[in-house]
Amino acid sequence: MRTYELIFVVDPRVSDEDVVTMTQEYKQMIAHGGSEITSEENWGRRKLAYPIEKLTEGKYVLLNIQSQGGKTSLPEVEHRMRQNDKILRYLTVRTDEDLKRAARRKPSPSAGSPSASSEPAGDEDLDTGEEI
Amino acid sequence: MARPRKVFFRRRKVCKFCADKIDYIDYKDVKLLQQFIPERSKILPRRISGTCARHQRFLQQAIKRARHLALIPFTTD
Repeated sequence: MRTYELIFVVDPRVSDEDVVTMTQEYKQMIAHGGSEITSEENWGRRKLAYPIEKLTEGKYVLLNIQSQGGKTSLPEVEHRMRQNDKILRYLTVRTDEDLKRAARRKPSPSAGSPSASSEPAGDEDLDTGEEI
Repeated sequence: MARPRKVFFRRRKVCKFCADKIDYIDYKDVKLLQQFIPERSKILPRRISGTCARHQRFLQQAIKRARHLALIPFTTD
């Protein structure tokens, strides 16, 4: 099981409703690929740190995605985003490994035993049952 | 102990992330990242901030991601 974060910046001239429908579309694509959207954040209008295409603001949308192992449709989603010129920026980050690493180091002084002690090599899904 | 003359007082620098036990540096945490990008928006070097190598690496990654998303600037002029 993998978790991803997908964040994208939309042209501020696009209305809020259209942003929602656009997000809906991408969410559908992701769901179609067998992944699940665990949470969604709409940051709304935000000032950009530097102008992109002469725009000074952008609308940020963040999706937290959980894949059920195997394939996801994220490459296709990214492809679509690249072609959509209403999207100024997007970024997909795989977060499960980093979060797991962070979680492993944190509880070590208090509770040592229940943490994942078996860590065999391999990139296949290890269901340690650890909630992040 | 038996040190000749000039004794510099240098504050011992401690890695902020080790001290605060932060192990995942989030690129969305602009406030945190901003502490490591001075005026010209360059990444603050380790020798100044005292960040340990490991955390500097994570920090660097986070800053670059944040820059891509225009959360923090590449430069300021």
